[in-house]
This record gives sequence, C-alpha cells and structure tokens, in this order.
Amino acid sequence: MSTRTRPDHRSIAFGDWTMNPVEAALTAELLLAALACAVAAVAPASMRRYLAGIATIAMAASGIVAGGLALSGHSGRLSAPTALPTVNLTLAPDRLGGLFIVIASAVTLLAALYAIGYVHGAADSRSAWLAFILFTFGLQMVPAAGDIITFLLAWELMALGSGVLVLTDHRTRPQARSAALWYAVMTQLSFLLILAGFAALASVAGATTFDALVTVSPTSTTGALAFTLLILGFATKAGLVPLHIWLPRAHPEAPSHASAVMSAAMVKMGVYGTLLVVLRFMPGGPAWWGIVLLSLGGISAVYGILQASVTSDVKRLLAYSTTENIGLIFLAIGASVLLASYQLTAASQAALLAALLLAISHAAFKCSLFLGAGAIVAATGERNLDRLGGLGVRMPWTAAAFGVAALGAAALPVTSGFVAEWTLFQSFIHGATRDAISVAVALPVAVAVVALTAGLALVTFVKLYGIGFLARPRSQGADDAHEVSHPMRWAALIGSGAVIALGVFPGPVAQVLASAVGIGDVATIGLGGLSLPSLGVLLDPMALAITALVCALPVVVVSALSARRHPRRATELPWGCGGARVSPRMQYTATSYAEPLMRVFDDTLRPEQDVVVTHATESRYLVAQVRYRQKLSDVIEVRGYRPLLEFVDRLGVVSRRLQNGSVHRYLTFSFVALIVVLIVVSL
Amino acid sequence: MNWTATAVALLQVLVATLVAPLVIGITRQTRARLEGRVGAGILQPWRDLRKLLRKETLQANGVSWISSIGPIVVMASSLLVAALLPLISTVALPFVPDDLFVVVSVLLIGTVAVALIGLDVGSAFGGMGSSRHMMIAALVEPTVLVAVYALSIPAGSSLLSSIVATRLDAPAVILSPVSLLAVVALFVAVLAETGRLPVDNPSTHLELTMVHEAMILESSGRDLAWLELGSWLRLSALLGLVANLMIPWGLATDATVLALVVGTIALLLKLTVFAAALGAGEVFLAKLRLFRVPELLAGSFVLAFLAVTASYLVT
Amino acid sequence: MSDNLYAQLISLTAGTLLLTAALIVWRRSLRASVRLLAIQGIALAGLVAVLGWHERTIELVLVSLLVLGLKAVLLPLVLSRNVLNHDDDREVPRLNPTASLIFAALLTMLAYIVCRPWMGDTDDPTSRAVPIGIALVLIGFLLLITRRRAASQLIGFLVLDNGIATVAFLTATGVPLIVELGASLDVLLVVLILQVLTGRMQVKFGGTDLDDLTELKD
Repeated sequence: MSTRTRPDHRSIAFGDWTMNPVEAALTAELLLAALACAVAAVAPASMRRYLAGIATIAMAASGIVAGGLALSGHSGRLSAPTALPTVNLTLAPDRLGGLFIVIASAVTLLAALYAIGYVHGAADSRSAWLAFILFTFGLQMVPAAGDIITFLLAWELMALGSGVLVLTDHRTRPQARSAALWYAVMTQLSFLLILAGFAALASVAGATTFDALVTVSPTSTTGALAFTLLILGFATKAGLVPLHIWLPRAHPEAPSHASAVMSAAMVKMGVYGTLLVVLRFMPGGPAWWGIVLLSLGGISAVYGILQASVTSDVKRLLAYSTTENIGLIFLAIGASVLLASYQLTAASQAALLAALLLAISHAAFKCSLFLGAGAIVAATGERNLDRLGGLGVRMPWTAAAFGVAALGAAALPVTSGFVAEWTLFQSFIHGATRDAISVAVALPVAVAVVALTAGLALVTFVKLYGIGFLARPRSQGADDAHEVSHPMRWAALIGSGAVIALGVFPGPVAQVLASAVGIGDVATIGLGGLSLPSLGVLLDPMALAITALVCALPVVVVSALSARRHPRRATELPWGCGGARVSPRMQYTATSYAEPLMRVFDDTLRPEQDVVVTHATESRYLVAQVRYRQKLSDVIEVRGYRPLLEFVDRLGVVSRRLQNGSVHRYLTFSFVALIVVLIVVSL
Repeated sequence: MNWTATAVALLQVLVATLVAPLVIGITRQTRARLEGRVGAGILQPWRDLRKLLRKETLQANGVSWISSIGPIVVMASSLLVAALLPLISTVALPFVPDDLFVVVSVLLIGTVAVALIGLDVGSAFGGMGSSRHMMIAALVEPTVLVAVYALSIPAGSSLLSSIVATRLDAPAVILSPVSLLAVVALFVAVLAETGRLPVDNPSTHLELTMVHEAMILESSGRDLAWLELGSWLRLSALLGLVANLMIPWGLATDATVLALVVGTIALLLKLTVFAAALGAGEVFLAKLRLFRVPELLAGSFVLAFLAVTASYLVT
Repeated sequence: MSDNLYAQLISLTAGTLLLTAALIVWRRSLRASVRLLAIQGIALAGLVAVLGWHERTIELVLVSLLVLGLKAVLLPLVLSRNVLNHDDDREVPRLNPTASLIFAALLTMLAYIVCRPWMGDTDDPTSRAVPIGIALVLIGFLLLITRRRAASQLIGFLVLDNGIATVAFLTATGVPLIVELGASLDVLLVVLILQVLTGRMQVKFGGTDLDDLTELKD
C-alpha cells in the first residue's frame, strides 16, 4: 500500500515517508489486522483464543487511537490504487467517521476480551476467529472509508464475516442455518439498495469520492431517489421495521461476543450511513425526509420494544430491544432534519446531539447486556427466561454488570440512556412551533411514542433482570450456575462502567459528540453536567446523585439505628399467605409477567393460544389435565413476509417451465436476447 | 442563592414527610366518616409507622440485596421528588432542575425498586403485583409526559417551577381548555401512579385485584415502614403538584421567611382539601377491572393529547 | 362583557363539547352516554347564549333556550326511556374503546389541521372554536361506524348534529331563528321515528344489534 502524504505540520517521519498521526494509526491497524488473521490461522488450538484474542484487542486499540485522532479533528488519507485506472481505495475518516470508528473499536475490544474467556468448541475454531477478525476489521473500516468503493468493500467484509459467525453453531442448532439464510438475504438486499443509491449519487457527481458527492442537491429528483434507496438500505442494516426481520433471528444464533458486536456496533453502521446522507452528502434535506425518518424510527421503536416486552428468550429480547433503540436514534435524526428544514436550529441540533448520545449509550449498554446474556447461557445452559432465576446470588459480578446495563436500557438516572432521552425530550419541548403544521403534529406524536417506548422498556428490563436474576431458580441449570471467568466478567463490567460514566459526566462527552457534527452550542457545567445554552436547559446528573444521597442519608441512619436493636431475621417465607413455600414453579415466569401487556396489545401482537382440557374418565365434570400453549410469532413476518415468499415460490414454479433441459432452447434464449440488445442499442 | 435554594428544598422535604402520613389519615378518615364508620383518626398512619419501625424485620431465605436496599431506594426517590417539585416555593435548586423528565425518572426509580422487591421473594403474589404494577407504570408514562408537554408550551419551559410560576402570574391560563384538559389528564395519571381508586384499591388485600399490596406482602418491620411512607410521600408530593397547578396562590416565589411560612400554610390547606376530596371521591368509585385500566389510561392520554393539539393549533 | 371573559366562556363551552364527545366514545354504558349527551346539549346552549349575549341579539338567546330544551332535556329523555326499557345497558363496540379514543384524538387533530387555512391568524375566539365543531362531526361519524346498538347509533347521530350546529353558530353567527327551529324539529322527528322503529325491532327480534340487520336486506 502506498501512502500519499499531505502537508501537515503534525506529521511523523518514517524514513523517507512522512505520515500524520491518523495515517500512522490506520496503517498500524491494517498491519495489526493482518497479524491477527495470521495468528488466528497458525496458532495451536490450545493457545488460539489467548493469542488471537490479544491480537484482536491490539487491532481494536489501534482503531480507538485512529478514531480518536480523527474525532479530535486530525485528518489523514491513506489510498491504494486498484486495477482500474481512475479508482483508488481511500481511507479518510472525518470527525463523524472517527466517532463511529471509536464506537466500533471499543465494542470490538470488549468483545475480544470477553471471547478469551468465552469461546470454546465451534466458536474457538480457526474459521470462527478469522471470521470474527475480518468482521470487526470491516466494521472499523466502514466509517473510515473516504470513497464509495472502499465503503462498499468494507461493508461486504463486515456482512460476510458476521454471516459466517451466525453459522458458527450450525452443527448443534439447526435454527442457525435458517437464521443465516435470512441474514444473508436481507444483508444482500441492503447492499444492493446502498449500491443503487450510491450509483445514483455518483452518476450526478461524476466521481466516487465522498468529497465529490456533496454536489448533489437534496431537492433534485436524483437526490430524492438516492435518499430513498440509501435510507432503505441503511434501515435494513439497522434493523428497522419492517426490514428488521433478520435481526431477532441472527443475533441470538451468533456466539455472544459476536452478537454483542453485531448489536452494539454493526447496526450502528446503518445509523452512520444515514448520518452520512443527511449531514455530509446532502445537508439541508427537505421536511419530508425528516418525516420519513421520524415515522420509520417511531414505528420501529414501539414495535421493537413491544415484541421485546413479551419475549422470553434472553437474546431474542435483546435483539428486539436493538430495533427499539435504533428506532429511537432514527426518530431523533428525523426530528433533527424536520426541525432544521423549518430553521429551528437550536432544537434541531439538540435532536442530533440526542441521536449521537443514544448511539453511544446503546453501544455501551447493549454490549454489556449481550455479554451478560452470553455469561448466563454459558453458566446455565438456558436462554429461556422462564427457566432462569436466582442468578443474582450465584453470579454477583455478572448480575451487577447486567443490572447497571439494564438500568441504562430503561433510561433511568443516572445512566447514559437517561441523558440521551432527556436531550431528545428537550429538543421536542423547545421545537414547539405553530408556524409549521408538520412540526406541530409530529412533535407531540413523537413525545407520546418516546414516552410509550420508555415505559415499555422499563417493563422489559425489569422483567429481564427481575425474572433472570432475582427470586429462585426455575430449573436445575439455573440452580447450578456459577460465576463466569475473569475476562468475561471484566468485559461486561467495563461496558457497564461506561454506561454509568456517560450518565454521570455527560457534559464533556456531549461536547466531543457535538464537535463531531459541527454543533457549537454545548457546554459543561458543574461536575460534568450537560448544558444546552441555546435552549436554556441544563442537567447535572452528579448534582442529582448527590441530592439523592443526601435524601437517602437520614433513611439509612434510621435504618441502621433500628437494625442495631432488631437485626434482620431470616425465615423461610415471612407471610406466604400463611402457607409454606412450595416449588419454585409457583413463581411468576417471564411469560406470565408479560401476560397483562400481551392482553392489552392483543390486537397488535396476535398471539396464538390453545387451551386443551382433558376430562377424567369417570366424569365430564372432573378435569384431569389442562394444557395451555401460547405461541408468539412476529406479526410482520407472518402477515408480510410469508405471503411474499409464497408468491415468489409460485413464481419460481411457473418459471421452471422455461427450463426443460434442452440446449436448443437455452441457445434460443441467448439468441433472442442478443437480437433485442442489438435493436435497443441501434435505436 | 445556592444555600437558600437548598434550605427551601430541605424545608419541602421535611414538611412533605411530616404531612404525608396525615394526608393518608385524612383520606381514610373522610372515607370512614362518609361510610358511617368512626375511623381510626388522622394520626393512625403515624402510629402505624412508629409501630413498624420498632418491630423486628423478617426476611425470606435466599433473597438478594434488593430486598434490603430496595425500601431505602423507594424512600429516597420519594424524598428526592419532594425536594424537586415546587410544593412550597418556586425557588428551584441550581444544577438540579425540576425538569419534568427528571422528576418522572426519579419517580420511576421508586417504581422499579418496588417491582423488583415484589419479584425478589419468589412468591406467586409478588410477581403478580409486580407485573401489573409495571404494566400500569408503562401505560401511564405517555399521559404524564404529553400532559406536561401541553402545560410546558405556554410557559416555554419544561421546568415545573416555571410552569407553576407562569400560572401564578397569569391566572387566566388556569381555566383555559388546554390547561384544564392537561391537569385532568395529569390527575388521572397521578391516581394510577400512586395506586389509588379506580386503578388500585389501597385498602384491600384481595388476591385477584391487588397491585401495590401484592408486592409488599412479604415485607415487614422497617422495610415495610419505608415502603409505606415512600408511597404516601409520593402521593402527597404529586397531590401537592396538582394542587399547585390548579390553585397556585400562596406559593412562595422568593425565599423570604414570611413567604415560606405562607407557602407552607397554603400547602397544608391545599393538601387537606385535596386529601379530603380524594377520600370523598373514593367512596363513590369502584375499582376498575384490571383490563379496563388501559382504557382509563387511554382516556387520560387522549385528554392530554387534545390539550397539546389545542395548545399548538389554537393561539 | 369583557372580551377576555367572552373568550374564556367560548373556550370553556367549546371545550366541554369536545370533552363530552370524547367521554361518549370512552363509555360503554348507554345510560352514561345519554347523560353526557345532555351535558353536551347544555354546553351547546351555553355557547349559543354566550354568542347571543356578546352580540346583543335576543333571537340567539331564544335559540339557546330552544337548544337547551331540545338537546339537553327532551332528546335525552326520549333516549333514556328507550334505554331504561330494557336491562342490558352495555354497548359492545366493534372497535375497542382504547383504539376508538386514540382515533378520536387523531380526528380532532385532523379537524384542527383542516381548519387552519380558514382560521388564519385571527384572534377571534369564535373562529378558534370552529375546529371543535368539525371534530364533533368527525367523532359522531366514528360513533356511527363503530357502534352496534341502534340506541348508540342515535347518540352518534346526535353528536354529529351537535357538531353541525356548533359550526353553524360559530361561522354564520346567527342562524335565523326559523331555520334553527326547522332543523331542530327535523332532528326531533328523526329521533322519534327511529325511537319507534327500534322499539318495534326490539319487540320483533329481541335485539337491536345492527350487525344482525344485514339479514333483513331481502
């Protein structure tokens, strides 16, 4: 790879090369990725996970450095010629790209650390490690790309690597094959849409570098076409309804370290792509863009969290919650575009800031949650919440990490999710206007959607934590659980630490985020609090936490005094309706916990329920057995995709007639095609 | 400024804590008298608390730390709400805004803590109560946020103290349809959030219907004392908020001693009236079936939404 | 009367109209719906009276008395007799109340959006209340579509009629007494005829669920 230098006073000299820091870090990352691949390929099986894991961590660390440098405003450009004369592969991250490189690398780092303790069997094989390294490398290169070709190559690398990872356990879990098929089809669909969108942009701009694409006007027909295609493509990758269908299948099947990266970082690339379109390529988009993004996001948020709230499979639940979170991010981006199109700059910038805060917050908590879910599966062999319970005392470290991350996901203070939703809400309040009817309608609806989503997220994560970690174990596997190994524990704990750190010191973080998208009006107040001077609002979570502690102090003192006289006494069950404790099966399960919601949203979720009553042989009036079965499938899959697939199937059957094995017929087809082409060309 | 605001917040916490059991006492006593019973007197909740704090605390085997810490978290969240809301004065703590979203989130911490306590024991009742409680909490949230969104538009701010201050300056706002609809919606949400009729009946332990009581069945001693006081305090603080939104007069706008004394007396009067009205209203209400509750909440949501519509589209 | 008070009263009565309509959508009990309808009638009469007072027209005040008598007393009485005649007071709507309520909210928003071009920037309290009349018409339609029982269909029809009346009073300010009289009589007549018909149906088929009436088309 040759390096083209640019005049930059911060350059580092390497012999006769001169490189600036970003270029040096990117080069280091490329080399480390190659090294990691080599290590994964040649390391002996017993040492593989240590060596490959450490090599991946090194690669991710260099990615964090490169991204951090780009984020702080350093620029750099690596390019390599290809076989085609005018096409170069270029890596040239800008500030926004730098931010997403940092997100991707940080998540990769935690996942790789976790993998050292986690992988075994198929997930520890040479191919799985290679796939993981290529996947995460591609992931870090997507936001670093400086032209269309590089972007698409990295995108494909990311898709291929993750596709292989979904298939990891295909020997033991037949579902993995169908999940991988769904994933492959949807991800290729996304690729095609993005390719077409970029082609539309490039055809007007006449070049493939990102800097050249800026010439396209957002209000032109090409602009609208490119927007539609690109957003559809990125929404597919981001798992938005109704294109989310691969997500709840693929995430649960991949090994947990891979699902953490997929969920916390890979779907974020859809967000990055959308931000590229609306901020970099075609800034100042019309109001309908905002409304499209807002509706896509709002529907995804509510649908995702509704499905998550009634799901009992831990990893599937987390996957649906990803749809919800990405939906909220799109909703915020949409609000930002909409408000900007009516010159409500301050509110629009707050919404954009909220989108970025939501993105990093989701990266932190979802990474930790998926790693924690992996720990649960590893320790108990169960992933159905209905069979878990009591893990809080058996796995205290995992429980702590998981609990904090769940608080973040439920957007409670003082976590990162809370700060993000607060910022979004402020943008809605201060964007209120009577002059623009679409804003006047969209904002209250958005408030309601965000509020409903937040409420349902609360139920979902109370259920997840409460049923999984509290109460008594509902199966032998859960009863026998033990705390997991140190790397796994630490990876999850670091993720949760980030959730708290981002929640307590949002000010500096928000300033960095604001600089990435060119927003000036963000300040830090107090001990790391966040202030938006143009809206006149502030939030200091540290002060809130201190006030809360001051409030709690007298309660704690009184409790301590009372505890001196009467220490707690353990008993079997203090009241228990006057009866003794029976089997743990008497407890509420995840399914029963979600039953009220299932009833309330019956029309939307459409569960299939059967009750079979078997009567005793002696009399019809005596019941021998009652069997209750409930099956919940994704409504959109059943109502939308199944009919479509059946139609395609029928089309396939019909088109089979074209193929009868006769060589003559095939030759005739080719001949006719040739003639048609000639005629078309001559016209 | 800093210290006076802190002192005002402390005063609010102190007054609210002292008054919360009395508010419950007044509600129960009114109800008892209207139903032809003598009633236990308005001081009974205080006596209950004293008794509970002196008793031994029992704890089920195999519970996690949630059961010991949870009651304190519930109590602290209620105290924090009392400190943040404009109950006696509109002087707000600097750096800790009484922003609506913050207040709701602090309330939700208490909600979540109670729900987790319900699950922690691992009895059938605890899970049942917790599940219902969370469903209601989830469905209340849109109403609360949309209602206050409507109230915040005339004030141009989501700070509750400035909303109340605006109403104090221009009382005509109070009777406008926007504000009436929003306050009614908010009131229904408060009833649901604090587990009063017609959403939950705080005075029964009937298996099929109880929500809040089901979660705290296994708590005893000081744990139960904190849970009870926490929920009473939450009711009093929220009633105080609704009262100040409807009748903002008397609220102190600065931190002089006289204004604060007037503010405290006004708060006591308003709470007495509202508590008695709540108790009287409950005589005429039956508890709704659990699955009719979403309809009630949807109704209040619609009111809130209509308030926003009206505030946006009508000048 | 000061302009401020006038504006307040207009908003209050119009707000009550909207609120009662929303509550009618919410309640399943027919008895409660009839009571709400009566309140709506009072609000409408109040609105007309306020308009009359403001413009010092005796005719409007008379109309308001007429509206009060008809819509707040007579029609609810006629309806409640029908309801009281049989024990089953429950409506089982085709759309659950939660969804209907959210629909009603959206319809109200639609009404406001539709009216914006007409309202312009005017500060006139009457034209600001016009959207509520339109919303009433839309909600009345919603009731007609989603309700099964003949009696609640009538209620929907009356809400619709109240909406039309509201719009008429607010925009034309001063429907001639004679026109209002004629319209009111029409409504009364329709209600009475339907009343008789439903009574007959009740006797003949034992129920007034409109879904069962599809059998009668031959």
